[in-house]
Amino acid sequence: MQKETALSAQNIVKYFHDPVDMKVLNGINLDVLKGEFVSIVGKSGCGKSTLLYVLSTMDTDYEGELIINGARATGKSLNDLARLRNESIGFVFQFHYLLPDFTCLKNVMIPALKLGKWSYKEVEERAYEKLKMFGVHEQALKKANKLSGGQQQRVAIARSLINDPAIVMGDEPTGNLDSKNTGIVFDLFQQLSKEYNQTIITVTHDEDFARRSDRIVEMADGSVIN
Amino acid sequence: MKFGVNTEIALTYLFSRKKQTIIAACGVMFGVSMFIFMQSLMKGTNDYFEKQSFATTAHIKVYNENKLADKHILENYYKDGSVKMITNPKMLLQNDGLLNPFGIIKNIKKNPNVTNITPQVSAMVIYNSGSVTLNGTMAGVDIIEEDKMFDMQTNMVEGDFKDLVKVNNGILIGKGIADKLGLHMGDNITVRSGKGASQVMHIVGIFATTIKQIDESKSYSNISQAQNILGKDRSYVTEIKINVKDYNTAPEIAHDIETITGYKAESWVQANEQIKAAFKIRAIILNSVIGVILLVAGFGIYNILNMTIYEKIKEIAILKAQGFTGPAVVSIFLQQAIYIGVLGAIVGLTFGYGITLMVSKIYIGAGTLKYLPMSFYVPHYVESVCFAVLTTVAAGYFPARKASKVDPVTIIRG
Repeated sequence: MQKETALSAQNIVKYFHDPVDMKVLNGINLDVLKGEFVSIVGKSGCGKSTLLYVLSTMDTDYEGELIINGARATGKSLNDLARLRNESIGFVFQFHYLLPDFTCLKNVMIPALKLGKWSYKEVEERAYEKLKMFGVHEQALKKANKLSGGQQQRVAIARSLINDPAIVMGDEPTGNLDSKNTGIVFDLFQQLSKEYNQTIITVTHDEDFARRSDRIVEMADGSVIN
Repeated sequence: MKFGVNTEIALTYLFSRKKQTIIAACGVMFGVSMFIFMQSLMKGTNDYFEKQSFATTAHIKVYNENKLADKHILENYYKDGSVKMITNPKMLLQNDGLLNPFGIIKNIKKNPNVTNITPQVSAMVIYNSGSVTLNGTMAGVDIIEEDKMFDMQTNMVEGDFKDLVKVNNGILIGKGIADKLGLHMGDNITVRSGKGASQVMHIVGIFATTIKQIDESKSYSNISQAQNILGKDRSYVTEIKINVKDYNTAPEIAHDIETITGYKAESWVQANEQIKAAFKIRAIILNSVIGVILLVAGFGIYNILNMTIYEKIKEIAILKAQGFTGPAVVSIFLQQAIYIGVLGAIVGLTFGYGITLMVSKIYIGAGTLKYLPMSFYVPHYVESVCFAVLTTVAAGYFPARKASKVDPVTIIRG
């Protein structure tokens, strides 16, 4: 079966200008198919996180071309990109980054409320389901800053999935989790890619995690070496 | 819960930082209540002084003014078309009464805007009691008409002004005259003018205005008595006083009357230019004070929102990463400013009303002024809310725009 391309990066070059001009990404070409589970690995400072932020459309200061779901993302306005992210990209950060003033449930709901595809009630139900998937549904009505780090990270992952994004990106999504929780997250990512045909791209240091994914992209000094 | 997500986030931020929200709202509240208080005081005082000035001044006064010599007689004499010039022209004394005053009155009465009209004979007089004399002016008036125009009754300290109708040689004197000459109700007073004979008059009433100068010089008598003192006939009238329906239209009506009668018709605006100037100066002072208060309130909101944004910069980055657009972020923070503004305005309205009500009970007790004059004028309340909301929107917009420009990558990557 010929699989469609979910994301295609062509000849991505990026410089850091501060404190001195430095080339961090050196002409990256990367195609990720729909439903593929890709891990990007490499030493610290090789540019893997930088690449992920370019792929996520949040970083627009690069040369080259980025195509997401067949549409060119390069050159779109910031607001269009924001809408694109809202609808089709879920993002998990290294540190959970929940909004501390809101309950966990609200945190998960906010991107969906923003999208406006479902009614408030439906969003609430979906959010609760997602929390249940990660076993944090009992904390749903607690304020986000009252949870442990691991719980918060699981809520954050639930949040990234609320809009059924075509692509889920993670910057060390399991960096703060113990092995049991890492296992849960990994199984879930795998389930998403296999059963729901969602594309997963994660940057990770966890070799075990990377080895079990569909494909490993290894980076060094701003280039893909494998 | 049927709010948009932006509104929900804005409200959550406000509620999670109650103290700051309340402090910011307090700033607006003080702005609004001071605005209302100041405006009420200003309008109250202005209204009072305006009313006060109408207590002694008619809307329009028609009188004969001395004229500067002009060349029209010369032109009638030398009808040769040459250019006439008068060097150093002098004022010409007019017969200081009005010609055919009752004809003029009849004529002016046809104007539908005129509500009251009454003739008056003004005389410069000297009051005399025993060996003491006092200069002053006596107004020969139709006291019933005078009361309709100037509300004589409120100023009466002793006696009844209507007695002037019954007692032909009656006189109403100011309290200052009574004090200085040691006179009481029922006493006699000798009144002399420069030209006429002296008259002994019977005091039927004593009045007091808030203006000391008037109380120490002014008296009212019947028209005929004033004419007697001046040695003039019964058709002698020095001025005609007119009240109109809306005193703001007085200048235009005065202009009409001037063209019709040919006499000088002076509106209260011209007669009270110093009052108008005082109104303007007060307005400038109070408006700048109000402006400063609102500015300070605005800076308060600006500061608090700015701090909020520094504190929440990571959360803003997260929201943007999750697909919140720039305008959505502006909306979140601008809404916070607006809610603070509206909350402050509502509390400020009641607070402002309360202060105004309280202050209006402060006893002054000078002349006819019993309590501090405060007005309860609805447009002030509407204006204050508009100003408050405008200020908060302006103060909130700049921090909100800054928040919308947060670059999620730099923040999240650290």
